[in-house]
Amino acid sequence: MAIHTGRGIASIEYPTGMNQNGDPSQAWIKVKPDGRIDVFSGTSDIGNGSKTIQSQIVADTIGVPYDWVTYDNSNTDSSPVCTGTFASRATFVAGKAVLKAAQRVRERILEVAGQEMEISPEDLEIDDGEVMAKGAPTKKLNVGDVAAAATWGHGELITGTGAQLNPYAAISDPTTGEVDGVPHAAISYAACAAEVEVNDETGEIRVVNLTQAYDVGKAINPALVEGQIEGGAIMGLGLGVLEDSYPYYPSAEHRGGDFGSYYNPSSADLPELHNIIIENPSADGPYGAKGIGEMSNNAQPAAIATAVYDAIGVWVTELPITPERVLKAIDARDAGGGPRREGKHVIFDEELSINTVGTGKTWTAGV
Amino acid sequence: MNIVVNGNNRTVESPPLTPLLHVLREELDVLGPKAGCENGGCGACTVLIDGAPRRSCLTAVGSVPDAEVTTVEGLGAPESMSDVQQAFVHYCAAQCGFCTPGMIIAATAYLEGGGSADRTEISEALAGHVCRCTGYLKILDAVAAARDGNFDLSTTAESPHTTVLT
Repeated sequence: MAIHTGRGIASIEYPTGMNQNGDPSQAWIKVKPDGRIDVFSGTSDIGNGSKTIQSQIVADTIGVPYDWVTYDNSNTDSSPVCTGTFASRATFVAGKAVLKAAQRVRERILEVAGQEMEISPEDLEIDDGEVMAKGAPTKKLNVGDVAAAATWGHGELITGTGAQLNPYAAISDPTTGEVDGVPHAAISYAACAAEVEVNDETGEIRVVNLTQAYDVGKAINPALVEGQIEGGAIMGLGLGVLEDSYPYYPSAEHRGGDFGSYYNPSSADLPELHNIIIENPSADGPYGAKGIGEMSNNAQPAAIATAVYDAIGVWVTELPITPERVLKAIDARDAGGGPRREGKHVIFDEELSINTVGTGKTWTAGV
Repeated sequence: MNIVVNGNNRTVESPPLTPLLHVLREELDVLGPKAGCENGGCGACTVLIDGAPRRSCLTAVGSVPDAEVTTVEGLGAPESMSDVQQAFVHYCAAQCGFCTPGMIIAATAYLEGGGSADRTEISEALAGHVCRCTGYLKILDAVAAARDGNFDLSTTAESPHTTVLT
């Protein structure tokens, strides 16, 4: 028995928002009579932090403290339309919708404040909840007083709406996949380097290090970006070596039905993680942001497979790279035969991956 | 029968074989413990029973008469959080939050049992708790920080695992 170490790298490019676009988000913001800000947006926060990030965007854009902002997405009937929290789009698309709404609210606050202060709105700015004359910061009016004046004096509600939509790009040539418009709103780039240990007796793989670099455009909330990167790393580790829906080949009836047979990663599987956040701003995203959610669990399985090749000299071309597949790969390598692709040893477990799904359809391995 | 939940005496009407999890959530309206897999695999339902972490989904309420049951609500309120709760906030150690009550209960038991700040030991102590969002790293950092009192609710912790290139 020996432990073999290997290193591998994989990179991805990933469109932010839906492929071919066509996924709208809308937002509505109103200002309470005391200056507090109510944001209505349709984005569900599934733990990714979109409520926090969109509230940050609103607070910074208007110029008020973060804790003045309340974000309400409590029901889908009254909320503005948002296509959803998927495709790394909550910050990039829905964040842009709240940004536009907040810009309109800011303009309205400045107009009302201009009338109250008898100063042209162009000569005013808002910082930390205070409307101030540019160059004369002692001449100021609290946003709460502006909202009160709008409510009780001007008889108006300070409000603003915003919507973000990149038009749908339809496929114009089915042969090439060419589309008739802009296919993606922004492209992010990422790379993952994996270090693994492979036990050649048991076939077990231990991922010991995942070092990952993500181009996120702008990290509006770095801690939440880290949460996406680290969470994605462990999902990718699971996809790479652990999580198999059909662990008991050949019968699909014995698929894993609980955490005893479906091996999701635990804290004991956690490798060393190193996150590299690259801020390469997008032209269209709010404050230059791109997406990070869905793209964060794509590079790890390929990086791990490459590291396994570095360790034992066999390309395992099926995921997850379970001990059974590793041992089969080693046997095939040692037998000198087995399938080859472009001159390299590979293992492609066609029966295991396809037939257990039960479609009856078979694929050619292409070796 | 009676049980003590977060310091309050509660009378239980459910049959004795009812899982403690269902008694807490459905009869007593204590919603911190989460019903995840409900067969002991995920850890989201974990509570302290007389100070020891136990899966409430696998614990028949009749087997713990007069027990002191502590859920995440019993460790602290938003205005008076425990050290572990504060460290979880400081490190942004929750995302969707479903695993968080069980994680915090298990981490509390680990530290009260004299657990160290060593990452391997913490990860083994929490290995029976599934989290599908965070990647565990911030949770482990938070537990280590809670042990050393190294948290500050007014700020977010800077990650030692991150480099930002602009």
